[in-house]
Amino acid sequence: MAKEGEKKKAISRLKSMYPLRAKVDETYQKSVEAMKAGKPTVWSMVNWWEGDVILKAMDLEVVYPENYSTVCASAGVAESYLNRSDADGFPTHLCGYSRNTFGYTSRMIKELGSEIPPEAPMGGMPKPILLLSSNCICDARYKWFQALGRYMDVPVWALEMPIPGVKELAMEGCYERSISVMVTHLRGFIAFLERLLGKKMDWDKLDELMRLTEELNRVWYEVNELRKAKPCPMHGRDFWSAMPASLFLAGDLKDTLECYRAMYDEVKYRVDNHIGAIAEEKYRLLFGELPPWHSLGFFDKLAERGWDVVIESWAYHPPIPIDLSKVSDPLERVARFSFQWHTGYFESALKEGEYFGYMAYPYLVYAREYKCDGAFMHPLISCRSASTHLQYASEMLMQKAKVPSLTVEGDIVDLRLFNPADALSRAEPFEEAMEHYRKVRKEEGFDW
Amino acid sequence: MTGENKGLTKAKEIYQDRSRRAKELKAGGKKIVGYNCIYSPLEMMAALDLEPYGLFGDMREPTSKADRGLPTAFCPIMRSLLDLGLKGRYDFLDGMVMPHSCDAIEKTAHVWQCLIPVPYFHFLDIPCTVHEESLEYFKGQLIDLKKTLESFAGKELSSEKLRKAIETYNEQRALVRELYDLRKPDPPFISGTESLQVIKALMSIPVEEGNELLRQVISEVKERKNGPQKKAARLLVWSHILDDVALMETIEGAGANVVIDDCCVGRRAYQADIDITEDPLDGLTNYYLTKIACARTFREAVFGETKKDRIADLESKFGYMKDYVNEWNVNGAVLLLVRFCDPFGFEVTEVTDYFNSLDLPSTYLEHGYSEGSLAPLRTRAQAFLETLSS
Repeated sequence: MAKEGEKKKAISRLKSMYPLRAKVDETYQKSVEAMKAGKPTVWSMVNWWEGDVILKAMDLEVVYPENYSTVCASAGVAESYLNRSDADGFPTHLCGYSRNTFGYTSRMIKELGSEIPPEAPMGGMPKPILLLSSNCICDARYKWFQALGRYMDVPVWALEMPIPGVKELAMEGCYERSISVMVTHLRGFIAFLERLLGKKMDWDKLDELMRLTEELNRVWYEVNELRKAKPCPMHGRDFWSAMPASLFLAGDLKDTLECYRAMYDEVKYRVDNHIGAIAEEKYRLLFGELPPWHSLGFFDKLAERGWDVVIESWAYHPPIPIDLSKVSDPLERVARFSFQWHTGYFESALKEGEYFGYMAYPYLVYAREYKCDGAFMHPLISCRSASTHLQYASEMLMQKAKVPSLTVEGDIVDLRLFNPADALSRAEPFEEAMEHYRKVRKEEGFDW
Repeated sequence: MTGENKGLTKAKEIYQDRSRRAKELKAGGKKIVGYNCIYSPLEMMAALDLEPYGLFGDMREPTSKADRGLPTAFCPIMRSLLDLGLKGRYDFLDGMVMPHSCDAIEKTAHVWQCLIPVPYFHFLDIPCTVHEESLEYFKGQLIDLKKTLESFAGKELSSEKLRKAIETYNEQRALVRELYDLRKPDPPFISGTESLQVIKALMSIPVEEGNELLRQVISEVKERKNGPQKKAARLLVWSHILDDVALMETIEGAGANVVIDDCCVGRRAYQADIDITEDPLDGLTNYYLTKIACARTFREAVFGETKKDRIADLESKFGYMKDYVNEWNVNGAVLLLVRFCDPFGFEVTEVTDYFNSLDLPSTYLEHGYSEGSLAPLRTRAQAFLETLSS
């Protein structure tokens, strides 16, 4: 029997993933260097490209407290920040990312005179000159930055994205009205940035950066399309490592685009040569929501059982590509691109009588197209908005695709809320369920 | 209005059997449109002869079916509402309007549509900011709502009818403010518990009947001799949907008079009037996006200022509560929220800081929207009241 150290890794990681993963580390280093050089830094919520490309065009270094909170969790310092948030009077049920940020900021401002805490991992987040929030996905993401006002007098800009319903978006004029409000809003945002920074927007640069954003996401989308192959050439772990470069527009975008192209080539090679991400793909899994960042080794254990994560939550995937070549205004392209991410599945959702057109409905499309045997749902206790849809998604998958779900609660920050041993103990019964529903699907005429 | 009772007794009767009137109206041929939260433009529905009916959860009913659509770590009020829907409590509805007042309601709206079909359903998106372009977008959303309501009602909504409905609802707002004025004396003429009962009754019956009820209640409490007793604590309660008298009774029963509130089944929905504008949709747009002081909207003193001024921001967000404190002679405040409410949860430190700036003692209390939450709530309320008297 092979010793533990000699054992082959259950998941064959993509070589092209590593440079993409490194992009986010670079971002933190750059922001600290920028601060040392007296350059401004922005704290931003993930905004699905609505604001990022504008910040980049204005040469601002951006860090993402949501992402940084996972870094703090992984480094084991989140708990002290969470405790500090509680002590400062914030309700304990608030989003774990926000509580981590409250604690971090409280320590930085109240104790250290705005110096980065020495224990802060990856160089920390320097005090910002701007807080960019977003109403996309959840209330927390535009409320929490305003609540930071008790620690620092930093201006907050709340990005606005319309969130109409599936049926309502199909009403005449609603789509274009949504684009129009976003474009006008973004013009206001740029005017605000120009006042804040005392410099003008370089519109040519914005145009170029937006084109790069569209292209790198198109390539990234195509990479994920390749994962429909059997065996799946890329495991979810590589997805989670590679997605931040797209979500946070990390690094030099030309370089980031090349990294995604390299990933496409590697994944395509695997598809052409029938190379799977795991040795023996027995079950193709859809993963609902963010993974337990602190326990990613858990997926290797599942891979040893033949569980392959072939597709993940809609929210972290790039939009379905749309042709924006005829749109000359870069702000309109930003708006259309970002709104496409949000509403790209609405039309087909409406046809199927599904009204949770983002978040929940895409799982149904994924289950069919990626031929999933089961869904691993991971509700995040402290991230309600991202998890709310999972309950309904499970029901929809069963009703409409005869795909069973396994729900294991956990969290993105608080590692005490996820129990890998308990989750693994549920693997075998769930395999039986997946086998059973394979037969049911066959009997009912499904094609997988 | 049906029945013999009047005033407070009538309000209590309606509170205890909320759907009775709606079912009577339905039997008479009216279409009943359920709505939740205070962001649904009732004026439009009433102007189309549709009957708006306020939807609430029920903290006395164990939530046993909502897991089908919503997780456990989620707004317990919305979970309870969905639970009641799945159990058939709202089967008499002909339609529903759910506004995007918060993330929990937005997500519940989508789940509701999928799990509990109703003949008419409209989800009303509401921007989170109050910029000029947000107002323009929101007006477009209201126009879309008007179209679907017209189609559902089978008739067109004229500006004249809409204006008339706005005036009737403004009358209700004025009457509610008059009722709240009766809580300024010490002791107040009407308790917080009774007041909540009246407000919830208003959300269960036609607006004209509600106005008549309010007139009766105002007249009754002005004349009665057995109103609330004088107590040392005169509290302001800040909350979101506070829809069960047991919650208010728990605070008042701990030894306080709740003399003013900033709650959704309370003052918040009646604090401001809708402006009568040439195009009545302009008045509605402005009211529903900018005049309701709810935590769901991103507000600051001057949007887009590059210099942050927190004191000015707090004043712009909560300045109206300074008036409450002064006019109602408040000496303590309770921030009362359900667990898992994000918009209000993120506002807790903001409101606390603002009350601190007024030298007003305050406490934050959390509950789980169940009867089991009441005993611990009472203990914590009592502890706070002790600090006020010491």
